[in-house]
Amino acid sequence: MDNSYDVIVIGGGHNGLVNAAYLARAGKKVLVLERRYVLGGAACTEEIVPGFKFSVCSYVVSLLRPEIIRDLDLPRHGLEILPLDGTFTPMPSGDYLWRVNDHGKTHREIARHSRVDAEAYDEFGKAMQAMCRFVKPILSMVPPDPTTLNPRELMKLLFIGKRFQGMSSYDKYNQVQLMTMSAIDFLDQWFETGVLKATMSASGIIGTFLGVRSPGTAYVLLHHYMGEIDGAFRAWGFARGGTGAISNAIADAAREAGVEIRTEAAISQIIVKDGKAKGVVLSNGDELYADVISSSVDPRLTFTKFIEAQHLPGDFLEEVNRYKFRGSSGKVNMALDGLPNFNCMPGPGAHLRGAISISPAVEYMERAYDDAKYGNFSKRPYIDMVIPSLTDPSVAPPGKHVLSCFVQYAPYKLRPGLNWDTEKEAFGNTVVDTISEYAPNLKDIIIHKQVVTPLDLEREWGLSEGNIFQGELSLEQLFFLRPVPGWAQYRTPIKNLYMCGSATHPGGGIMGANGRLAALEILKDIKGAA
Amino acid sequence: MPAQSQGARDVVIIGGGHNGLVTAFYLAKAGFKPLILERGTQVGGAAVTDEFHPGFRCSTLAHTAGPIRPDIVRDMQLEKHGLRLITPEVCVTALSPDGRALTLYQDANRSAQEIAAFSQKDAAKYPEFQQSLAKISKVIGEALATVPPDIDHPSRGDLWSMLKTGRAMRNLGKKDMFRLLRWGPMAVADLVSEYFETELLRAVVAARGVFGTFLGPWSAGSALVLLIRAAGDAHPAGSAHFAAGGIGAVTQAMASAAKAAGAEIRTSAEVIEIRVQNGAATGVLLSTGEEIQARAVISNADPKRTLLKLTDPMHLSPDFVQKLQHYRGNGTVAKVNLALSGLPKFSALKNGDDAVLRGRIHIGHEIDYLERAFDECKYGNFSRQPYLEATIPSLTDPTLAPEGRHVMSIYMQYAPYKLKGDWDQQRNALGQTVVQTLAQYAPNLPELILTHQIITPRDLEEVYGLTGGQIFHGDLALDQFFTMRPLLDWARYRTPIQNLYLCGSGTHPGAGLTGGSGANAAREIVKELKR
Repeated sequence: MDNSYDVIVIGGGHNGLVNAAYLARAGKKVLVLERRYVLGGAACTEEIVPGFKFSVCSYVVSLLRPEIIRDLDLPRHGLEILPLDGTFTPMPSGDYLWRVNDHGKTHREIARHSRVDAEAYDEFGKAMQAMCRFVKPILSMVPPDPTTLNPRELMKLLFIGKRFQGMSSYDKYNQVQLMTMSAIDFLDQWFETGVLKATMSASGIIGTFLGVRSPGTAYVLLHHYMGEIDGAFRAWGFARGGTGAISNAIADAAREAGVEIRTEAAISQIIVKDGKAKGVVLSNGDELYADVISSSVDPRLTFTKFIEAQHLPGDFLEEVNRYKFRGSSGKVNMALDGLPNFNCMPGPGAHLRGAISISPAVEYMERAYDDAKYGNFSKRPYIDMVIPSLTDPSVAPPGKHVLSCFVQYAPYKLRPGLNWDTEKEAFGNTVVDTISEYAPNLKDIIIHKQVVTPLDLEREWGLSEGNIFQGELSLEQLFFLRPVPGWAQYRTPIKNLYMCGSATHPGGGIMGANGRLAALEILKDIKGAA
Repeated sequence: MPAQSQGARDVVIIGGGHNGLVTAFYLAKAGFKPLILERGTQVGGAAVTDEFHPGFRCSTLAHTAGPIRPDIVRDMQLEKHGLRLITPEVCVTALSPDGRALTLYQDANRSAQEIAAFSQKDAAKYPEFQQSLAKISKVIGEALATVPPDIDHPSRGDLWSMLKTGRAMRNLGKKDMFRLLRWGPMAVADLVSEYFETELLRAVVAARGVFGTFLGPWSAGSALVLLIRAAGDAHPAGSAHFAAGGIGAVTQAMASAAKAAGAEIRTSAEVIEIRVQNGAATGVLLSTGEEIQARAVISNADPKRTLLKLTDPMHLSPDFVQKLQHYRGNGTVAKVNLALSGLPKFSALKNGDDAVLRGRIHIGHEIDYLERAFDECKYGNFSRQPYLEATIPSLTDPTLAPEGRHVMSIYMQYAPYKLKGDWDQQRNALGQTVVQTLAQYAPNLPELILTHQIITPRDLEEVYGLTGGQIFHGDLALDQFFTMRPLLDWARYRTPIQNLYLCGSGTHPGAGLTGGSGANAAREIVKELKR
C-alpha cells in the first residue's frame, strides 16, 4: 500500500528529522509530515526581505550532540558551523565588558573591572567544565523511572549515583548548588562585578519564566555552558546559511537514508483504535497509516489537539494540562543598511562579530523579570544580539547586514486588556529604543524589522504559549519528570505513539538528543515485539 | 588573668533558645551535666514573652509554635512543667480589601464550607489537597526527624535511614511519589494554582511557603518550604498553636524540664569566645573574663555567629570560611506588637463574628500582592503594602492583657535586613506602614493603640543575636536544606572543630519552633560523646 509506513513522524523540526533519520537508517520506512512550507520548525532560515536571510527563531547553535553530527555525517550534507567569538556587553556608563575566546584577552578585560574576578573566572571555567562532564552523559540517557523496582531502571539511578560519588567533594558541592540555587546566588559566590554577573546569569533564564534570582536558574546556566563544537567546550556558533541550514543538512541525511518528507502537510488528528495509534488524518482529509507514530510537537498539541480525550487516562491528561509552557521571550530580526555604532566602542570591529548582550546590571535583569510577572513585556528587556552577516556574508546583500535579537521578557500571557496583536509594534519599538540607548544610529539604518511575539511562535511554529523549549526548563519539568512524571521515556499511554520533541528529556535547544533517544527506544520496542 | 572557672564541665551549651534547651534536656537524660549559658536575663531566645506595657504581655518575636514535635512534648513532659497549649479550632482568617473574609478551620469539611462561598470547585478540591499534603509531608516529616546522611561515606545507619525514607516514599504510591519529587522545586504560586482558583485561598496557603524567607510566591523552591512546614502541621494554611502565657511559656517549661533532668542554666552569661586548642574546642570565655572549660561545646547560636564570630576563623580552613560566608541569611521579617484599649473592629466581619479572630489573621489577599511585597525587598526597600500575619492572643488567653483590653502581635514581611538607608531612621515608618495596612481592614485600630513595640531586622540581629536578622538562622531554600544545612557535608551537627557542635535552627531541619534541630543534634552528639 502506498499510504502506509513503518513510522510517521509528526513535525519536521530538528528533532523530528533526527528521529526520522535514525529510524530510516535502521531500515524503517519513514514519512515526516511538516505543516509549514519550510523545514526545521524553530530552526529555520527564511528570506523575509529579498536578499536577507533571517534565522527567524533559533539563531545560534552549540548543543547539537556530536554523536548525531557523526552518525548522520552532517558536514557531508552541508553543515558548516562558523564560530561566534565572544560576548560584548555595553554599559550605560559608557564602559563595556568584552569577553572573547582568547583567554589572555578576557583575563585582562575582566581584571579591568576587578582583579579578583579575573582570577575567579579561570577557576569558575574549570569548575563548570567538571560539572558538564557529570551532566553530559545524563543528556544522552533515557531517564530512569525512580518509582519502579525494575533492576534496569535502578541500575541507571545507581550509575548516576556512582558518577556523583566519583566526583571530588569540591565538584559535588558545586553540583548540588547548581541544581538548587539561583544563577545570581551561585555567581555571587564567585564574582563581584555586576555587569559580569548579569551577563553570565542571562543564560540561566533563557526560555524560562524565571528571574536571575529565582532558584533553579543556576542549572539552566550549565545547560548553556555545555555547548560543544568540534570538541571545544562552551563554543557557540552560527550555521552557514542560517540556522535552517542545520535542519536542511539533517533532512538531507534523512532523505539519503530513505525518509520521505512532505511539507505543507498539516495533520488534524492522530488515529487511535483500541488504545493503539494507527495513523494520522491530514487537514485535507487524507488518511495515512503506520505501525508507529512519533510526535515531535509538544504534548499539548499531541494529546489535547490531535487525540480525543476518551483515548487517554484522566490522570495523564491532567498532568499534560498542568505542564507549564509560559513562553517568556520574543525575537526581533532586522535587515540593516549598515552596522550599529556603539557609543562605548565606536565603529566596526571584532566586538560586533560575537554576541552583543544588553544586560548591564543584575538589577536591570531582575526588573525586566518583574515587569513580566505582572503581564507586561519588559520596559527595558534583556537582549541577546548577533550580526551573522559579518561572519557569513551569504545571509545579506553586500554591505548590508542582518541583526538578530533575542528578547526576554515577553510573557505569552499579557495582563487583562492587552493582547499581542496590538502590542506587537510597541514591543518591537521597545527593542529598538533599548538598543538605541547604546547604539544611537540603529534607527537610521533599519531597512526592515520582523517582530516575532510569543503568540506568533504559537500560531506559526506550533510552540504552545510561545515556549521555545516546548515547555519550561524548570527543575520540576526535567529528567524523569519531563514532560509527564512516569512518561519520560518517550512512550505514551497510547501504544505505538511516541514523543520525540524538545518537551522530552533532555529538553530544548538545538541538541537533537531527544529525537535520537526516542528513535532508539522505538527501535527497541519494535525489536521486542517482533 | 582570666577568672578561675569552677572546674571543667562536660558539656557547655551556648544560648538558651528552644533548641538549646531541648538539646540540654536530652543530654541530661543521657547522663551528661550540660550547662546552658544564656546571654539574656531569661532563657527562650526568640521564643519569649515580655511585658512591653504595664499589664500587657506579648510573645515578643515568635507568636505561634511550629508546633513542637509531639515526641519532644512527651519526652520532656512539658505539660507537667506547666505548659498549656492552646490550639483554637480557627486556624486562620484571611482578609480581602473587597470586604470579604475566608476562615479556615482545623476541620477540612468546615473549611470547605467556607471556601464554597468563594468557589464550589475549590471547596471540592480542598479536602483532596489537604489529604495529599498530609500524606506527602508525613514522609518529609520522617526525613526531618533523621540526621542527614554523610554523602561521602554513608554509614550503615545512614543507609538504613535512607532505606527507610525510600520505603516511606515508595509507600506513597506512584502518584504521590511523583508529586513529592515534582512539588519540592516548584514555586508555591504554581502549586496552589494547580488546585485552586480563588486568589484569597491561593494566597493564604502560599504565604506559608514564603514566611520568614527571602522568597516570593513565584520563587522556585517555595513549595518546599510549605512542605517542610506542613511536615509539622499538615493543615494547608497552618494552624494557630499558642501557649497560655505567650510563647515564652514553651521555653519556660522546657527550661524547667531540662533542669529537672539535671541541666544547669546560667542567665546573663554572655559567651564571647569559643576556646580552641589544636583543632579542638576546650571551653568558652565569658564577657566577664570568666573561662569555663568543657569536654564539648554545643552552640545554639546560628552557624555564622558560632564559627565566624565566636570562634577565631584561623582555626578553620579558608575554604570552609568562604563557604560559610556564603551561607545566605538576610532576614525579611519585622515584628510589631501593639497594646490595645479594645478589640479592633474588622469591617469584613459581622458583629459577634470575633471568634474567627482567635486564630491567625492573614493580610495578603492575592499572589501578586505577596509577590509585589517581595519585589520591593529585592531592591532594598521595605514593602509599602506588606504581607502581615497578626494574632490577638489575648482572645484565647485573657491573662495577657487587663480586662477588656488586648494585645496584637504582628509579623510584617518584607523588611529587608539590607535596607537602602538606616533601620533606626526607618523604624517609625515601618510601624506606621503596618498600622495603616491593618487600618484598611480594621479602621478603628489606630485609635485603640496604647503603645507599640517595633522590632526591625537590625534589632533581631543586635538584641536577639540572629545574624542578618534571619529568624530561621539562615534562609530556608533548596540549597540550604537537609544535607546542605548549613553546608553540604556539615549537616550532621558537627563542625570542622572537634568537640564543637551546632544545635540551632541553622541545622537540619531548622524551620520554626519545633525543637527538631535540638533533638536531632542531641541524638548525634550523645552518640559521639559516648564513643
